[in-house]
Formats: sequence, structure tokens, C-alpha cells
Amino acid sequence: MAKINPKFTDELKKYGAFDTNACYNCGHCTAVCSLSTEEDSFPREMVRFSVLGLEDELKTSLKPWLCYYCGECSQTCPRQAFPGELMMTLRRWLTAQYDWTKLSGLLYKSLPLSITFFILVIAAVLGYSWHENFNIEKIMHVGHYFEMFAIAGVFALIILPNIIRMWYLTIIKAGVKVKAIDYIYKFWDLLVHMFTQKRALGCDDNQVRWFEHLILVIGYLSLLFTTVALDWFGTSSKFIIYLGYAESALIFIVTFIFMYERIKKSKELSSHAHPSDWFFVIWLFLMGLTAFIVRIFIDTDLITNNLWIYLVHLIVLVQWALIIVPFGKWTHFLYRSFAMYFDALKKDQV
Amino acid sequence: MKSKIGVYICHCGGNISDYVDVNKVRESVKEIQGVEISIDTMFACADSSQKQIAEDIANKKLDALVVASCSPKLHYPTFSAVAERGGLNKYNYVHANIREQVSWAHSDNKEGATEKAIKVVKSAIARVKESVPLEPIEVKAQKSIAVLGAGVAGMRAAKELADLGIQVYLIEREHFVGGRISQLDFLCGADITGKELVTQLYEKIHKHPNVTLFTGAEVIEKGGSIGNFKVKVKITPRYIKDECNPEQLQKAIDVCPVEVEDDFNFNITKRKAIYRNYDSEYPHFPTIDSKNCTRCGECEKVCSSIDFTQKEEIIDLTVGSILAATGFDPYQPKENEFGWGIENVVTLPQFRRIINMCDNKLIYKGKEIKDIAYIYCVGSRQVEGDNKYCSRYCCTATLYTSILTHKKYKGIHSFHFNRGIRTYGKQEVIYDEASRLGDIFLQSYEYDPPVVTKVNGKTNVKIEDLLTGGKEIEVNADLVVLVTGMEPRNDCSIGDVLKIPKGRDRFYNEIHMKLRPVETVIDGVTIAGACQGPKNIMESMNSALSAAAKSYSIVNKGELALEPIIAKVDKDTCVWCGKCAEACPFDAITKVNANGKEIAEINASVCKGCGMCLPVCESDSIDMDGFTNTEIESMINVLAEN
Repeated sequence: MAKINPKFTDELKKYGAFDTNACYNCGHCTAVCSLSTEEDSFPREMVRFSVLGLEDELKTSLKPWLCYYCGECSQTCPRQAFPGELMMTLRRWLTAQYDWTKLSGLLYKSLPLSITFFILVIAAVLGYSWHENFNIEKIMHVGHYFEMFAIAGVFALIILPNIIRMWYLTIIKAGVKVKAIDYIYKFWDLLVHMFTQKRALGCDDNQVRWFEHLILVIGYLSLLFTTVALDWFGTSSKFIIYLGYAESALIFIVTFIFMYERIKKSKELSSHAHPSDWFFVIWLFLMGLTAFIVRIFIDTDLITNNLWIYLVHLIVLVQWALIIVPFGKWTHFLYRSFAMYFDALKKDQV
Repeated sequence: MKSKIGVYICHCGGNISDYVDVNKVRESVKEIQGVEISIDTMFACADSSQKQIAEDIANKKLDALVVASCSPKLHYPTFSAVAERGGLNKYNYVHANIREQVSWAHSDNKEGATEKAIKVVKSAIARVKESVPLEPIEVKAQKSIAVLGAGVAGMRAAKELADLGIQVYLIEREHFVGGRISQLDFLCGADITGKELVTQLYEKIHKHPNVTLFTGAEVIEKGGSIGNFKVKVKITPRYIKDECNPEQLQKAIDVCPVEVEDDFNFNITKRKAIYRNYDSEYPHFPTIDSKNCTRCGECEKVCSSIDFTQKEEIIDLTVGSILAATGFDPYQPKENEFGWGIENVVTLPQFRRIINMCDNKLIYKGKEIKDIAYIYCVGSRQVEGDNKYCSRYCCTATLYTSILTHKKYKGIHSFHFNRGIRTYGKQEVIYDEASRLGDIFLQSYEYDPPVVTKVNGKTNVKIEDLLTGGKEIEVNADLVVLVTGMEPRNDCSIGDVLKIPKGRDRFYNEIHMKLRPVETVIDGVTIAGACQGPKNIMESMNSALSAAAKSYSIVNKGELALEPIIAKVDKDTCVWCGKCAEACPFDAITKVNANGKEIAEINASVCKGCGMCLPVCESDSIDMDGFTNTEIESMINVLAEN
């Protein structure tokens, strides 16, 4: 038994969906989808649940995460109901549902609120620097430690509880009977999907995109490791310095391509960008670029008289770590791989 | 007795001659007395053969013709026309079927087939010898037509006929014109309201010199036949003088103490015993509903236009044709059918009236309506009931109504519980529009219909939704609208008076749904609009114009030529037992007095030559022109010969 909630599509529209109601249930979208299977059939079912506003069915579903948005369904839809964009919207909505702080939802729905948060971060960083009399060494030192504590704190307080919530909704509430041992057996799936996103290869004509994305993920994770664990800005090891240059360059080059595609709307998946998509890709670009420039300033000894460049980098970094990572698009990195993990558990249930 | 008969035997390119020895057939009939020529031909229907036969008739002065070939269904008209071209009366032509009934049926036995073909041809020769030339029956036709029903179909037909110069009697049972369409405000796909449409049509007919409109009038008797129907019309009084004072009449309505259910608004409001349905209604002055009026006299005190002395009138009309456009009734749900009986369950026609009455907020029984559940196919496409048909108009009307509610009120949510949306043709855009406005469609099969219940003061509709994989879905609705289809008029006494046959759906039946879609088996009576079956306005208009053209073609020449193959009574031997009249399906036989004796008389313009009266006549006094006893007996004699 499920009760219709006709107001739900209005809520979804705030997360980016449009014209979902135009759907007349022909099922073209599901038929052309190269990832949809008989067991995991989408997107039509998701469109239908959205139209009817069956929130419980949507919350307990892993299907939005199983879509890698090649956009073929939207191109094929005879009603221009954009099922692909709806799947993307549902991922945003689910991110908000998993988030116990509810901040994700507020930020997704309100661009002014997001901008306010970004401005508050700028004020805080500048305020702190002023408090420290713009002492470059002190600020860089704190910046380095900030990264470590931010990662640990955000993970422990926000991301881990949210993944547990995702697990609760999609496994426990969905009534999936998992064999306990499978949590270990299937753990490999989690790692594979987290570091390769290999499911995206199943999308038609998506191989180039998958490769770009893979490079971005590897570049991002290794730059994170290089700056936090190997202290890229403080090291004198030539190898680490050049490694950092290479990684940050990869990030801003690939994100530049992504931004260019979004501006040109050259692909179905890049033609309906939500502010959260823009924040994600722009901040990644800025992170890579500012880190690269800061290191150049260090290497050319210009940094002491040009604190401002480090402050820019620090602002971008703090905004990224406190806004985009816990409450923005960053979490799709984890939710997608956990969805594959949970889906594997589900397929092998008792 | 014919003595110069031409006999032509066709090979049909081998279809016949492969199994029947055509030469033997020709040889065996050649010597029969009266046969002038007997010829076999490869294709009798070929142009050259037809020409040859016609020339033979003329040159050899033949007085009768037999062609032995295929089924008469295929080529009887061809060869009777050949006979006429050669100068013969077409009733002196007899067709012998030696293909379907001989060569094709007996392809396994060539000798037997040949023997049978000889007998079939011989019997045709025997019959043609006795054949009598016949002339079409000429009937005078009145240049006037009665149009029954002044709804949009009736008024449209009346206007067209009047323009063609025909005297039209437009007979409306209600005291106002417009029928069902006057109950509609906005019409789907047109920038005109139902009332405006009625007004436009009324203005065209009301000053037209060729149209006489009777309101409150009903046909109670029909006599005569095509070309000359005698129609009795009962006219009930309006009890209002022709010269009336509008202000006083309004006062009369105000003071009337009688309040009854207003059937114009489908019983959702009350009206007085003296009433008009809406201000701009035609004719422009009210009427008194004599069934409910208590004659208290209050209205007479304030209005001098009231006249209770008016009496019922019966008038006689003679018309050449009758065009029935008597319309439909909306289906009335049964108790508990989809929650019918719960206070916030209404029908679509009621809902349209509610929308008409609510301006800024949609309010029904004091409560504001936001969530509306429409249940489709109520009283149509029934699994158990009699109404197996689709009512055609309702999917479009419902979606259009839903769009109206979105445009007129804020915050409306519509849920369509349907069995497949049938917004056919151009109306598909309505479906698209409603769907893009956010309307939600839920679908079920006919054996799993939605269920309406009242739970804790809320009206709940439940469905196992096909479009969600059979999942049980429910909605709490502020208002449930039953999308009721069309039914034949509950009071269809006019059909009984006219003897129009009904189909299995109980609507009036045409002769042939494709070839003769507006004629009935009662010659001279045509049907138009929704009395024939569910139709939307455009379809009703189409059929009205088509029926007008058909009725016009009957009366416009002032005379009619009818098929002369009809029954005839032998005045000397008939003793009137009445059995023939009982057997006649067309009411063509009446008792008359001839020379002091009661005998049966057959109305030539009503008789269809079906022959039902012949076998029941005990004195053997009825004979059929074109199929006389002598002709048939002569055939039997030949076939029975050894």
C-alpha cells in the first residue's frame, strides 16, 4: 500500500528535475538503457515512483546509483520527460535524505544559502589570518593540520553516519536479508567500484568519459595523499614536488574539460547542470590550480611576500572540505560504490 | 408467357467450364419451346459480351433473358442493366447461378455438375417464361420534414433543410432548446461555450421562415409511410402568455414557494416550479412545470403573464421524412457503484455544473476541493452490465475538465483512474496538456477496478496500478468524479412510436454502419446525433448534416420511385383473418372495407417484399410481384422432373 503524494514532484524540481509528469509510461527509457537489467530495471520505475511521490520506495532504492548517466534515455524519450536528468536529481535528493544534518537538502535547494556559506568561509579564513597578523608560516602550518583534522572530522561526524543511514534505508528498511559473511565476501566489490567506477564502462559510448573520470579520481586521491601525508608544500623531496605538480595539473586539466563540456552542453549529461554540479567541478579545478600555483610560488621563493595566493588556496580548500565534501556532490564517490556493494549483497540475499 | 427467350451460358474463363460441360448445357436447352437463341460465352460480364447480349435483344426482338453465370450477388445488377439497355423490362431477366452453386460446389463430380447446371438453367427458363414486367411504384412525397429534438444536432439539421427550401417542423420535448449542450459551458477544442453554440444555432432557426419550432411537444403517433407520414404532436402548455413582462416574471419566480430538484444541474441545486434553466435560455421566457406546480396562485398575484387557462393541444402534421435527433442521457450510477452514495462522490456532468457555479474557489458542500479523483468508464465498457460500448467522449471531456480546474483554481491535483486513455484523433493534445500540468494517471484492467471507500471522514480511492507494476496505490480525494458515459434516453417512447429498431447497446440502429449510417429500416426515418450511439459534438454535427442530406433526397423531388417487388392481396379470395398483419414486420398491412367485405390491404410504400405474409395466409390470397406463385411453381416443376 502506498499513498500518492502529488506535491513530491514540486519538491524534486528544486533538486533539478523538470517535466517528469510528461511521462506516459511507454518504457522507452528502460528499453534503451544499457545498464538496466530485468532484476534492476530503471529508469521508468523511478520516474513512476517520482510522479506518484512514493518517497519510501525511492529512499529504499539503490537504482538511482546504478545509473551512470549516458543520457540515452533522455534522448530517446518521446515525451521529452528527461528520465536521465530525473535519475541525476534523485541522486541529489537521496544524498539529502541520507544526510542526518539535513544541510545537504538545504544547500541543494537554495543557491543563496550555498553562496552565504561560501562567503562565511571566506570571512572565517580571512578573520583567522588577521587574528594571526597574516603570519605566513603560522597560517600554512595550521592549514596543513586543518586538512588532516577536516578529513578525520568530516568523515567521522558526517560521512560515516550518513553511509550507515544509507545502509539502514537500502538494506534494513528495504527488508534485504543479508548473509553476514557476505559483508566480507562482497567487500572487494566496494573497493573495485570505488577506485575504478568500472560499471560506467557498461554505458554506451561512455568510455572516454570513464577514462577522464578515472584520471580525475586517481589524481584527486593521490594529491590528497601527497599534500596531507607527504606534506607537499613543506617537503624538499624533488620526487614528491614533481608528483604533486603532475597530480594537481591532471585535476585542473580534466576539470577544465568537464567545465568546457558543461558550457557547450555537448553531451546529454552535461546539458542540465545544477548549481551543485558547477560548484563541484569549479572547486576541484580551483583546488588543483591554486595548489599548483602555491607550489610554484614556494619554489620561486615568492610566497613570503605573496601570502594572498596561499590564502586563496586555503579558502578554496576550506570551502571544499567543509561544504562540498560533506554536503555536496563529493559524496557520490562513496554512495555509488556503496550502492554497488549493497546491490551485490542484495543479489546474494538469503 | 414469353416466347422469344435469349439464354447465355458463361464459361467464366474455366471457373465454370472446367467442371460443367457448357456445350452440353447449351445443347440441352436449345430445343426448349420459347428459347430463341442459346449461346455460350467465355466471359458474359465482359464489355463485348454485354454489348452482344443487348444487341441480340434489340435485333432478335427477344422478350426475356436468362444468363447462367456466377452468383446474382455479383452480377445480377450487371445483366438486369444489360436487359434494360437492350430494351427489355429488367424484371424479365432471370439470373441462374451455375458457378457458386454448381461448378465450385461439385468440382469432384463433373457429370453430376453438368446435370445440375442443366436443371438450374432449365428452371430459370421456366421462371422467365412466366415473368411479368414491373414498373417502379411512384409515391408523392411531401416537401416537409419533422426533426425530432432541438439539441445541437436537430437544430443543425433543421437549419440545413430549411436553407434547402424544405418546410421543417422542429419538435422539442422540453420547453427550451439546446438539449445536453446547453448544460456545458466550455467546450473542448472550441473557443465557444455550449450556451453560445446553442444561441448561434437558435438564432439561425428561430427567424427562418421555413422552420416551425414546437417546444414542450412530443410525437405521440405516427401513421403513413415514406413521403407521407402522418404525425400527431402533443403540445403541453407553458402557462406563460406570448406577450409577457420579464420583470414580473422574475418576481413570479421569486415568489414561487415550490422547490424541486433541478435536473438541469443534475440535482445538485433546487429550482422553483416556475423556472428557466439559465438567463439567456431560449425561448426567452420561463415555463411552469405542471407536475410540481401546486396551483397556489402566488405567481399570478405578481405577474399578469401567467395563464393557467392554456390547454394541452394535439396537432396533426404531414411530412415526407422524419429525422430523429433525440439525444442521450448520462449514465446514472447504481447505489455503491464506485462509492456512489458517499456525499463527495459526483458524476462528471454534475462536476461540470459545480465548476460552472464556483468562481475563485472550487467548493462543494461547504468544503474546498483540491484533490480530485476521476474514475473512468463508469457505465461504459462494463464487464457485467449491459453497456459494453465505449462512450467515446468521456476521456477527452474528463481531461479537458481537469485542465479547466487547473486554469480556474489554484492548487488542484487530479488523479485519473483509467482503463487506458482514449483521446483519439486531434484530442491527443488534451492528454498531453493534462499530463504536463502534473495530472497523475493510474490504470487498471476491467476486472480489477479501483475501489472507493470512506475511511475516517476521508474518501479513499485504491487501485492496483498497472503502471506501477500492479502495486496497490491509494489516494485521499476531496472529491471523486465518476466519469459516466452516455446511455440511450431513459424515456425512449419516441423510438417505439416510430418503430426504430435498437441495437444491442439499446441505441437506435442504422441500416449499415458503414454504407447507410443514418438510415433506419423504417423507410423515410433517419437518425442523427447521440440517439444513435455515443458521439461528441463534431460527430453529432456530421451525422446531423448527413441525415439532413438523406432526408432531403427523399422529399426534394416531390415524388419517390419504390421497388415494385411487393406483396399483393387477391381481393376476391381474402377473408381477413389478420394473420398476415401479425406476421408483417413493417406494419404494411391494414384491414380495409372493400365492397362490403373486410379484406387486407398492403401499403405499397411500406411493404419491403420480405414475403413473411405469404406462408401464413390460409386462403392463399397473397402473391408477390416478381416472385409469383406461378413463377416459383414452374421452377419446382422443372427441378422435380425425372
